[in-house]
Amino acid sequence: MAKKDVQPILEIDDLNISFFVRAGEIPAVMDFSMKVYPGETMGLVGESGCGKSTVALGIMRDMGNRGKIVGGSIKFKGRDMGDMSDEELRDIRGSKIAMIYQEPMASLNPSMKIGKQLMEVPMLHEDVTKEEAYNRAIEMVASVKLPDPARVMDAYPHQISGGQQQRIVIAMALLSNPDLLLLDEPTTALDVTVEAGIVELVKELGEKTGTSMVFISHNLGLILETCDKITVMYSGEAVETGTCHAVFDRMRHPYTQGLFNSIPLPGADKNSRPLLSIPGQLPLPHQRPLGCNFGPRCPHFDEQKCNAAPVKMNPVQGEEKHLSRCNRISEIDWNAEPERPVVADPVEPGDVVLKVDGLKKYYDVAANALFGGAETRTVKANESVSFTAREAETVAIVGESGCGKSTLAKVLLGLETKTEGEVVLENLEIGDVEVNDRETGTVASIQMVFQNPFDTLNPSQSVGSQIMRTLEMFKIGNSQEERRQRMLELLDLVKLPRAFAERMPRQLSGGQKQRIGVARAFAGQPKVVVADEPVSALDVSVQAAVTELLMEIQREAKTTMLFISHDLSIVRYIADRVVVMYLGHIVEQGTTDEIFSPPYHPYTEALLSAVPIADTSVEKKHIVLEGDIPSALNPPSGCPFQTRCPRKAQVTGDLCEREVPPMRNLGNGHMVKCHLSEDILEQMEPVIVLGSKNKAPSGKKTGAASVATATAMSVASSAAKKPAQKSATTAKKKTATKKDNAPPKMKKPSKPDDLKRISGVGPKLEGVLNGLGIYKFEQISKWKKAEREWVDGYLKFKGRIDRDNWVAQAKKLMKEG
Amino acid sequence: MDPLSWGGIIGAVLWQFLPVWIALFLTFAISIHFKSSLGLYGKLFDSMIGMIGFFLVMFWIYTGLFTALFDLISTHDPLAQIPEMKNKVPGWALPEARVDQGLYPHYLLGGDNLGRDVFSRMVKGSWVVIQIAPLAALFAYMVGITLGLPAGYYGGKFDTVLSFLANLILAFPVILLFYLLVTPEIVQTGIPAYMAAVLFIFPIVFVGILLNSKFVTRPEIRTPLLVVVLGISFWLYASLVSEQARGTIVDILPSWLDLFNIPGGVLVVFVSVVFVNSPTIFRIVRGLTLDVKSRDYVSAAQTRGESPWYIMLWEILPNVRGPLIVDFCLRIGYTTILLGTLGFFGLGLPPESPDWGSTINDGRRLLSVYLHPPLAPALALLSLVLGLNLLADGLREESLKD
Repeated sequence: MAKKDVQPILEIDDLNISFFVRAGEIPAVMDFSMKVYPGETMGLVGESGCGKSTVALGIMRDMGNRGKIVGGSIKFKGRDMGDMSDEELRDIRGSKIAMIYQEPMASLNPSMKIGKQLMEVPMLHEDVTKEEAYNRAIEMVASVKLPDPARVMDAYPHQISGGQQQRIVIAMALLSNPDLLLLDEPTTALDVTVEAGIVELVKELGEKTGTSMVFISHNLGLILETCDKITVMYSGEAVETGTCHAVFDRMRHPYTQGLFNSIPLPGADKNSRPLLSIPGQLPLPHQRPLGCNFGPRCPHFDEQKCNAAPVKMNPVQGEEKHLSRCNRISEIDWNAEPERPVVADPVEPGDVVLKVDGLKKYYDVAANALFGGAETRTVKANESVSFTAREAETVAIVGESGCGKSTLAKVLLGLETKTEGEVVLENLEIGDVEVNDRETGTVASIQMVFQNPFDTLNPSQSVGSQIMRTLEMFKIGNSQEERRQRMLELLDLVKLPRAFAERMPRQLSGGQKQRIGVARAFAGQPKVVVADEPVSALDVSVQAAVTELLMEIQREAKTTMLFISHDLSIVRYIADRVVVMYLGHIVEQGTTDEIFSPPYHPYTEALLSAVPIADTSVEKKHIVLEGDIPSALNPPSGCPFQTRCPRKAQVTGDLCEREVPPMRNLGNGHMVKCHLSEDILEQMEPVIVLGSKNKAPSGKKTGAASVATATAMSVASSAAKKPAQKSATTAKKKTATKKDNAPPKMKKPSKPDDLKRISGVGPKLEGVLNGLGIYKFEQISKWKKAEREWVDGYLKFKGRIDRDNWVAQAKKLMKEG
Repeated sequence: MDPLSWGGIIGAVLWQFLPVWIALFLTFAISIHFKSSLGLYGKLFDSMIGMIGFFLVMFWIYTGLFTALFDLISTHDPLAQIPEMKNKVPGWALPEARVDQGLYPHYLLGGDNLGRDVFSRMVKGSWVVIQIAPLAALFAYMVGITLGLPAGYYGGKFDTVLSFLANLILAFPVILLFYLLVTPEIVQTGIPAYMAAVLFIFPIVFVGILLNSKFVTRPEIRTPLLVVVLGISFWLYASLVSEQARGTIVDILPSWLDLFNIPGGVLVVFVSVVFVNSPTIFRIVRGLTLDVKSRDYVSAAQTRGESPWYIMLWEILPNVRGPLIVDFCLRIGYTTILLGTLGFFGLGLPPESPDWGSTINDGRRLLSVYLHPPLAPALALLSLVLGLNLLADGLREESLKD
């Protein structure tokens, strides 16, 4: 977007921020520049420790007593914030610049009613009366789409759910009509379907109020869905910046490329196209190299060019405002397929190892512990769960918090005992045997990898002694010496140096700790390993390494893996079969292909739609679930999903509310628990469609792990062909009838344009436009005034189409192809 | 001989503490030199507050040790009375005749109302304090931990009952409890002896479970270790308990096997201090356990089939040590004050004991006329407790830093 005449809301110039600690000065952000224009959303993306949150705190000038801006300037609406007095800054914070943090509960005062907290904002900043403040607050609560605003205003923060809390925080931030909104990982603590709702809300509000936003996240998919521009950060520096589409499609920095290679995009395959992790580790702040910070991990590193002097941001040739901190932009073949490890053959699953049949787990919750209350309530954590897992197979259990997947794991591992049903591990019933009563062999044969790497190791014992203890417990080895040897072999297995045996857990990084967790789980040659979100707390580049390691060990040992996760991208990549759970029920199960293609269970459909995908060529159906997951203490009647199901209307009568649907077999063991009729299930369209460019043979070859680079290539090569195709389609279109000035329609072409590239059009709007039969830039570029007005009126835009000048944008995009 | 001037007194006192200064200097020099490899203890030397606290605490510990073990520092026998020195001001010279007997020529901090040397009594009193206070706090910890861990870990009815009992003890006025415990009639019924028998068994239980749970996977080490450790600790326990309970059923050991005898008053003081401190510790440990038991490494231990006691003692306890160490320092301070309070009320320790509380109480009666006899022990008590508090502060501060 060329808006040279417009003054940016926020202009950061060569910002340097350092923290001064016991060890001396630690530079956290170096040489950072960024401009945010009115109405624009800038995404800041990077792994933990890259300085993205420090930038936000720098903008707020809130870095505690240790942090200090040591160079550069931050201008807010043209005024240097460094020149402002404390009082002026206080005035700006919260009214002109508002910030939304990751933990909603931590940003709300737990002892104040929500209404009072919201009313404080206008009362403090604008000095309005109480009634006026109340009216504004309740209006804002309604506009963040909370049901029953008056009741919410009168509630305490703990009385509403996490998603609702985050909506309140957003309402609070927007109450003062800020010019700039900083969002620091606003959805990381939330479930995927709730996240989708929040993201939609933020985007809508941004469009409605025209607030500029800085969106900080580690999730590339989320950035693509929400932002216009993106800045990728690494080790305290911005390494690449540009519009989302420029960066995602034509990345020009090896780190950005590495990031994309390590996330499981649709099309990645664990056998033929494994993920690639970035080798090495983030350098510690005081160990950064002289030149390029990414140098030590970069495959294109050239001592002379990259390590001679600090690298500056260089413009990418032929592209405006696309900068990369790389000295070799023009030398590197950006489309080259990275070297991948030897392709492995898929492992054939063997006999059934684990069989769960009709498992039920209920908890009784008593009101009073000492005197035993009269009323006990039952939590139905698992309700008739049945599935099997074969040798060497990976079964993913998918669901959001509260779906009962952790309870299931606890029953399998013997931390809880079943209420009903059977759990059979290799012909041995284990469902009602607690772990302390199990035989050593049984205990060793079903083990677990835990979620939080910072919690999985005992902080006060050395790594080696913890693995040794596990070996002792499993009665492996006859002497300490033998066990020590075995422990060292396990360290080799997870690719850690043997010297790590003597280290304490605090000396290890998150990924290394998780490797130790893997070593511990595989110590007793288990038959089944339950992996509870083993990588979700890790950084993107480390995730790939740990995932690959886990699969490699599993493949070698022919272990069965139960992979618990809420992240469908990784599930699609890693799993052979998928079990989808909701509120204690299995709602759908089948092979990975069956789950990821229609027919779906409506919940699976919504989950698939909610997962952000970092690929510009992917088209997603937009489904946002209303409300929150019901409490397991008080589940809805009938189908567990009926309270949020978008397809409930398609079932006649109140069947969904009355009866729990039966498990239906759609063939080949693809089971769906739903009342929807056969033909509705059959008519379902796929939620995720790989972009047309990908279907080209060249795209298939380069594959989806590097889809973005491949896309760039195919765009260039097909640019010449496209106009011809287009004119052919438009010829037909012109004959289409014009009704009350509605723009001409067309049938869905095989290659619709990505209308989201028009500034101001998001996935939702795109859906609406597609509904009007508008798929191509060319169509929009031909809109006359009457048609523009009609669309404007139809969308209730009040002139935004002309203001954003869609026609000119569409013309430009059409030329670009 | 002439009395000493103030300068002379200060000089002489500092000189008397010479061994303590040397020991302190060595401790600090060595610790600061190796501080990078000493963990939390080493980090203490980064904090001024922590260093001051450590200095004050170590000052009294060294003083106590040197007086008790080598008879250094103190100038006179703390119990010897010299009638001419009654209520004499600091720096007063002894009569010639006494000096000729080889006694130190001055009462550095004056004499008390019985003509005893205030300085020596203060120095000797430090030994009583540093003997009883940390040990009593330690025993209280054993009881609190052994009960608090399972209460937090298991929860449920067990927890509810124990917490209720702890509240019951905490709700009882401490001083009244002490009065009851040391009343001769009650001592004669043997209640304190039985309490000692019960409370002192906890450390044995604690150590036994600690070692057993750790080495249960290696029976070849476990069995001999347990036999030796439990044997010795049971002998110590029996020795400790028997004397008090002569003629009762707790009288286990024949006197030829009885290793040592603790004066009756001391044991009662010990029992009461442990008894009133352990409920608080129980609650702290229980709360910390509730927090830590939900961590993944606890689940990891459960999934590999560890016994609950192993999880409590080796997975949970080491990871709550930070707050416990800090509280331990503070609690030694409380115990010191408690000992002072007990001494002040004339409870427990024998009347001529040089402990600070008793000494302050003795001096109280003539406070308006002669200020110096209670002032020295009062300042000593103050500086030790202050030191412990500062040390706890320093530890807390440093343990929070990365």
